[in-house]
Amino acid sequence: METTLDLSTLNLAVVLPELTLIVFAILVMAADVFATPKNPAPRQWTPWIALAGVVAAAIVNLSVSGREVTLFQGAAILDKFAVGLNYIILLATGLGILLSVKYIPRINKQVGEYYALTLLTATGMMMMGAALDLITLFLALEIFSLALYILSGLNRTSPRSTEAAIKYFLLGAFSSAFFAYGGALIYAGTGTTQYYGIAQVTAAGLANTPLLYAGIALLVAGFGFKVSLVPFHSWTPDVYQGAPTPVTAFMSVGTKAAAFAAFFRVMLVALPFSYGAWSMPLALLAVITMAVGNFAALQQRSLKRMLAYSSIAHAGYILTALAGGAAEGADAALFYLFTYAFMNIGAFAVVMALEEMGAEDAMQDRAKGLGKTHPIMAFLMAIFMFGLSGMPPLAGFYGKVLLFEAAVAGGMIWLAIAAVAFTAVGAVYYLRVIANMYFADPVDESADEVNRSLPLDVGLAIAVAGTILVGVFPGFWMNAFQQSMALFGG
Amino acid sequence: MSLPEMSALFPTLQEVIFVLFALLIAVTSLIAAMAPNLFHNALGLVATLFGIAGIYFMLEAEFVGVSQILVYIGAIATLITFAIMLTRGMMFGRTSAMNRQGLAGAIISGLFFVVLLGIVFQVPWPNVVADITDGEALIANLGALFVSTYLLPFELLALLLLVALTGALLLARDR
Amino acid sequence: MVSQTWYLALAAFVFSCGLYAALTRRNAIAVLIGIELMLNAVNINLVTFWRYGSMAPMEQLSGQVFSLFVIAIAGAEAAVGLALIISVYRTRHTVNLDELDMLKG
Repeated sequence: METTLDLSTLNLAVVLPELTLIVFAILVMAADVFATPKNPAPRQWTPWIALAGVVAAAIVNLSVSGREVTLFQGAAILDKFAVGLNYIILLATGLGILLSVKYIPRINKQVGEYYALTLLTATGMMMMGAALDLITLFLALEIFSLALYILSGLNRTSPRSTEAAIKYFLLGAFSSAFFAYGGALIYAGTGTTQYYGIAQVTAAGLANTPLLYAGIALLVAGFGFKVSLVPFHSWTPDVYQGAPTPVTAFMSVGTKAAAFAAFFRVMLVALPFSYGAWSMPLALLAVITMAVGNFAALQQRSLKRMLAYSSIAHAGYILTALAGGAAEGADAALFYLFTYAFMNIGAFAVVMALEEMGAEDAMQDRAKGLGKTHPIMAFLMAIFMFGLSGMPPLAGFYGKVLLFEAAVAGGMIWLAIAAVAFTAVGAVYYLRVIANMYFADPVDESADEVNRSLPLDVGLAIAVAGTILVGVFPGFWMNAFQQSMALFGG
Repeated sequence: MSLPEMSALFPTLQEVIFVLFALLIAVTSLIAAMAPNLFHNALGLVATLFGIAGIYFMLEAEFVGVSQILVYIGAIATLITFAIMLTRGMMFGRTSAMNRQGLAGAIISGLFFVVLLGIVFQVPWPNVVADITDGEALIANLGALFVSTYLLPFELLALLLLVALTGALLLARDR
Repeated sequence: MVSQTWYLALAAFVFSCGLYAALTRRNAIAVLIGIELMLNAVNINLVTFWRYGSMAPMEQLSGQVFSLFVIAIAGAEAAVGLALIISVYRTRHTVNLDELDMLKG
């Protein structure tokens, strides 16, 4: 058999936003080379070059949207879903860079590599949503995971940062072994690694069912690690607490968005005909995840760990939409992750501002009396907390409604009810932060200045604007990303 | 087979070689996983990797076998040995090599093995194997696939290696 | 030919050995060795499925391609992992995971 190179199928538009980011990552590295101890200016430009890259990629993303094209007989696809995910990742990356400008040079002098790796991480995350083949998916997963292990350990002199990185790495590599095994079994069961091919074989009833189901189980475990579902969540609080805060902020949204996007696409595009086998296990996983995440968050004294457990709970909410199995679930998850990017990065930005210079972790006590000492910070934090708890009219509310609607559309009314109940539990710990800020006295009067800088203020402004505006006007996003995923045969 | 009756009675040469390789892999992977001395683990891993390369040659996937030797034994095993020597204080365990979840880990991995074996022996595998007539064409085809159907993953792999290189430098470079 | 079942059983054994090491060893390098064993088991599976695969023609070579990617990914993972291990060792003078316990709630 001769394989010929057919360039007509080489449709570069599919990966154009990713390519833009790669070009700018190389520019960042190149600028870094020109920095010398005498002339450190090029190194100080690197965050702005990286930010320019994010903006450029967003413009490219806008210019390629509205098409639906696949690359190379289905290694990757650009549909509305991929475009939407690209926006979310770019938003998280941009906000992450704004948070980093002042913070990162304090912990590691090699800022050029940091920004280059951030852009490459974003590239991998965007590929997750575009992948249409298990091999592409696995590589995209590894690119962003490896980069994140490194970024978590960026603070090389900090025992906590390196500990977080090694734990993240070992559990992540462990989970990718399961992921690879799952992919291998699905390949064995269907004879292909392409999503459409898998769907075709299973639709025709030709798949080897035991192998396919074992493969699905291992794949779900692999995804479970990445989006931090219980019982695969144990790394999350440690890494969120130990990693440098801007990295945590970027990672908490980026990883979740990318891994969930790929998770939805694999389940809804490649494996819709095995729905009967995976819907109930996923629903149970969602319930356990929401329960453990919310109840553990109640007990945290560290703000970062509280946000880590709350992010586990949010993974549970998003999973309810997937367990429903309806195509609207993908749209709902995309919208939810979009709002989550604003709220969660905003919350981390406030936490970062609260961290004292030397300390690496802000405790709940640090928020006490903030309403009196720093009214603006307290007000912003209150908005993010209300948003995360799902209070109308902020962004989190409509997103949750859509997610639970998708669960109901899939016939899982009990799951939606459970999710609503857990949302109520979640409100307790978000509101407690607000109560601490406004009704408690400052523990330490000398808890003086918060660490603010202009880029951080810009980031906070974007985050708070998004949290409010997307909540009030959800239509602009929802209309643009309806029926976003190119389903098999659809 | 020219002598079907004979081959039914005696194991074929291929089967003998397989059993030898399988025994090698089984013993050495146990050493790699369980020996208390870290250096023995690494040596066990190297031997396992060699055995697995042999399995690839038996399966007539020569290119994978060669890559296994070059990348795994040439690079990964060497890296691991270096890491052991750089962190040499830990080479001779003053305390137990196992953590407190030793029993739970044994139960989980044992169960996992039983389940996997169950699947392997339950599934009705088809026993038709096509002969490979032109192995060279197959390898040429493999190369063509990397620059056509699998071009995107191939390019992504380059990106992955860039990330790993930058990252390893960022982390391990002397201040 | 040796039947497919035996190759797969061998792979299952190697995977379980790796799983055991990854779950129970204290030393981070030993855990990494376990993970490498698991990835190797995946590769034995992939090549076996390619060779014996009834679902897809052998000329498609997806199994071999997948296994080559897994080998390369394992290489990148090992490089980053060992850099991290050295980085931890520099700050903590240990790579025993149960002694790395600063991050607690």
